Amino acid sequence: MEFLTQIIIAGIVIGSIYSLVALGFTLIYKSTGIVNFAQGELLLVGAYVCLHLTVSYQIPFIFSFLITLIFMFFFGFLIERVFLRRMIGEPIISIIMLTIGLSSLLKSIVQIIWGTDTRTFPKIFSHEPVKIGFLNISMVYIFALISIAIFLGIFSYFFKTTKTGVAMRAVASDQQAALSMGIDVRRIFALSWAIAAIVSTVGGVLLGNINGINTSLSQFGLKVFPVVILGGLDSIIGAIVGGIIIGVLENIVGGYIDPLVGGGAKEVFPFVAMIIILLIKPYGLFGTVKVEKV
Amino acid sequence: MKKLFFMVFLIFSISAFAADTIKIGAIFDFTGGTADVGKPYAEGVKDCVRWFNEKGGINGKKIELFDVDYSYKVPNALAAYKDFKMKGVVAIHGWGTADTEALTKFVAQDKIPYLSASYSEHLADGKKTPYNFFVGASYSDQTEAALQFIKDNKGKTVAFIYNDTGFGRSPFFPDGENAAKKLGIQLVDKQVVDLKALDATAQMLNLKKSGAEYAIVQETYMATSTILKDAKKNGLTTKFIGLNWTFDRPLIKLAGDAANGFYGVSPFAFWSDTDVEGIKFLRELNKKYHPDVHEREINYIQGFSSMYVLLSAIKNVKGPITGESIKHSLESMRDFSTMGLTPPVTFTPDIHKGVRAARIYQIQNGQIKPVSKVITLQ
Amino acid sequence: MNYVNCGNFKTSYAKDAAIYKTVFSKISIYSFLILMLLVPFYANSYILYILNMIFISSIAAVGLNILTGFTGLISLGHGAFIGVGAFATGYLALNYGMNFYFVIPLAALITAIIGIIFGLPSLRLKDLYLSIATLAAQFILEFIFIRAESFTGGVNGMPVAYPTIFGIEINNDFRFYFFAYSFAIVMITIGKNILRTKIGRAFISVRDNYIAAEAMGVDIFKYKLLSFGISSFYAGVAGSLWAYYVQFITPEHFTITVSIQYLSMIIIGGLGSVLGSIFGTIFMVILPEMLRHLVDLLSGVAPFLKQIFPAIREAFYGIVIILFLLFEPEGLARRWNLIKAYWKLWPFSY
Repeated sequence: MEFLTQIIIAGIVIGSIYSLVALGFTLIYKSTGIVNFAQGELLLVGAYVCLHLTVSYQIPFIFSFLITLIFMFFFGFLIERVFLRRMIGEPIISIIMLTIGLSSLLKSIVQIIWGTDTRTFPKIFSHEPVKIGFLNISMVYIFALISIAIFLGIFSYFFKTTKTGVAMRAVASDQQAALSMGIDVRRIFALSWAIAAIVSTVGGVLLGNINGINTSLSQFGLKVFPVVILGGLDSIIGAIVGGIIIGVLENIVGGYIDPLVGGGAKEVFPFVAMIIILLIKPYGLFGTVKVEKV
Repeated sequence: MKKLFFMVFLIFSISAFAADTIKIGAIFDFTGGTADVGKPYAEGVKDCVRWFNEKGGINGKKIELFDVDYSYKVPNALAAYKDFKMKGVVAIHGWGTADTEALTKFVAQDKIPYLSASYSEHLADGKKTPYNFFVGASYSDQTEAALQFIKDNKGKTVAFIYNDTGFGRSPFFPDGENAAKKLGIQLVDKQVVDLKALDATAQMLNLKKSGAEYAIVQETYMATSTILKDAKKNGLTTKFIGLNWTFDRPLIKLAGDAANGFYGVSPFAFWSDTDVEGIKFLRELNKKYHPDVHEREINYIQGFSSMYVLLSAIKNVKGPITGESIKHSLESMRDFSTMGLTPPVTFTPDIHKGVRAARIYQIQNGQIKPVSKVITLQ
Repeated sequence: MNYVNCGNFKTSYAKDAAIYKTVFSKISIYSFLILMLLVPFYANSYILYILNMIFISSIAAVGLNILTGFTGLISLGHGAFIGVGAFATGYLALNYGMNFYFVIPLAALITAIIGIIFGLPSLRLKDLYLSIATLAAQFILEFIFIRAESFTGGVNGMPVAYPTIFGIEINNDFRFYFFAYSFAIVMITIGKNILRTKIGRAFISVRDNYIAAEAMGVDIFKYKLLSFGISSFYAGVAGSLWAYYVQFITPEHFTITVSIQYLSMIIIGGLGSVLGSIFGTIFMVILPEMLRHLVDLLSGVAPFLKQIFPAIREAFYGIVIILFLLFEPEGLARRWNLIKAYWKLWPFSY
């Protein structure tokens, strides 16, 4: 029982980071209908910028983190303005390929500027795990859980009460109607990219603190697909729940099935689960079911 | 399209005009999945060529190195290889598992010796892979050395931790399993940790249940760091021993305190082994070539010593320098000294792994310290 | 966008769908194909390698274009399907000692079946969800390549012997050129012709408006599966040839990167165009090689370039894809037609 509890808790904490990255993904999809294959690269850029500020300019972590967030806000804005805005109304494959192209571009830029070595953050979170009962949890993961909670709070406030948030929801549900109501759809698109960039940066910085950064970190972008599919592509709560479910499932498979099959099932299992879920619920757990009209 | 071909032709015809040089191809990874270790390795190889050329080349001939970054992608390696072949290279210095495996058959057919840093046992058989060589102890031999070390320290149980790739499984199945049996050490657990894993809690808890005293790790820095951190977090008492790709300063940077006590098997000398002649020499060389570089990773030393062996073999060739004559020259090397960068190197027509010895090191308070004599295998 | 000479009237549907629009185009295509047969006598092994890669990849690219360009189903698992073909080839050739003329069709069939199995989710899934399901296929197949050791040799991979035809071993680039070239011609001709039949029209109707298609009696699910099958069959042939060519296959050859590369080929070439798939392949195979030689040349002048160029090369990929999507969304095929049209009217174009 202790074993099971431990791996479930470990699953929840790693899942919370999946949730963070998935959140950015969902935000973009929800308001613009764009699937972002460059999510992992946004995370990478954010992590490197923060690292650079902290290490090269000796800025205290908390400030460099805030500067990074501001920077990434404008960075997301810029990406939307330069690349994605022209793609409005294009077929889905073009948009997928555009974000794939964007991902290899961003990744190379990171490589040109920061090289390929694995870099590490100066010690920010204590390496000593926190003991809760018989459980040991690293500080980084606790921060991940806290930031998830904070984001969840901010977003639900933002989407329910602020004018911009309501406008974003309006755009998501019907672009044309939103336009005719005088909502500046372009601004909403740009804003959602900016927010998504911020959210994934938080994920990137936390990941960087777990195990250092190199360009392979961007692969995390692909890992969130099972998460967002499970939760439903356009559901914020789905991204959060989906992340935690995938994290837990992954660890349970790792703990119980891996020893039976000789390992490796942990990595592929999320994708198997994803296909099964898609066959039963084609729009995920919380996704909006599309009604088709002739 | 024709224009493109014309340009390709043009470029070739330019590069075909070259003085009488010894042409060597090099396939590196600067940007792919293994770039973090591939880059210092490539620098080692290049510095060695530069040093030889500054000494006047080989018997008066300069060495011309064609280097290609193949991003750890097989088609790129193939393209580079065909290109090398056309340029008439006599030997190739490769990099990792991907390129080496893909080219094994071709180099045998075209008789071009191929040195690389893929220390897989199945590349060591001179009969099966006649033109593949590596300067280093094979992963299987490193595992055996680690097991020997466990036995010397009265350990009774061991676990293997690896990733599900050719690189990861190579040391253990079947060689590592057999060696454990031979030495009377019980293999109690096997755990797979992905190369990019951020969390290994489940695996570490399973390992804890198995009660293994020692665990041998075949991973790269990132996964090793994950393993060590999660082992510490979950209060494991298992002692971890990593093979050569897990063990150097980058790991200390990544894993922090968790790296303390970690053992590593290395057939190569570390930058901190200042009593070794080769390291002293490399330190001098780096002062000259790269005044701003003060520390070098083990991969640099690997690359340098591997190229050093190849170039020395070419130097010993009597008569015309061809792929075949270089192969013979390599195969006649007996106890060749690499200035102590590795144990003495021996190749025979049957055995193409240069080194059959390794030393165990340990990370103590963030420093890499040797903790055993050189363990020589039969 | 059809540019037809003045006076070239079509009087039947059959003529409208003809591959060779005019006698002149027929002659020029045939003479080009024959001229290509002479190339290996003049080219060196490096050029031949590039051409062989183009032949192999164009087969797979045509296959993907049938699925993605014509039927509108985005597949992110094409690389893995190519892998299925390659491993099936290795397994059949190694364990049963079959010759290639049995192995290649069989391997392709196996791949087609696997493709259909992974196409099953298309029963319920559309668009994005489907493409992500194919992404899952990619990862699941990769896992199987590694774990099904008795079939694939696992992580150690498996060697493949050279194919022989009438006792001649196809063991160098020169011989392989003719081998791959004939396969490419056969497969591309078949592909072009499939698309002119009822099946092809059904594919296009599924892509353009599946509701209307269904209303007109097109069995959508059947054609979607058929499209997956045909597309994977092509991937299987390409994988098989690749296995015969490189002689050694490991799971590391068939990753998501390969899938993405094929997608970029058909995007750059032109979705829904067989000719475009070939153009795209040529472009994507030659581009990295050209860049490499360019760096080698430039590094004499500016050695620092060589340090950062590897990264620039990857950036180039990204930029090329983005530029095509932004400024030439219909790909090289359209550009080709425009150029043709220009020269037809030259010098009196206006």
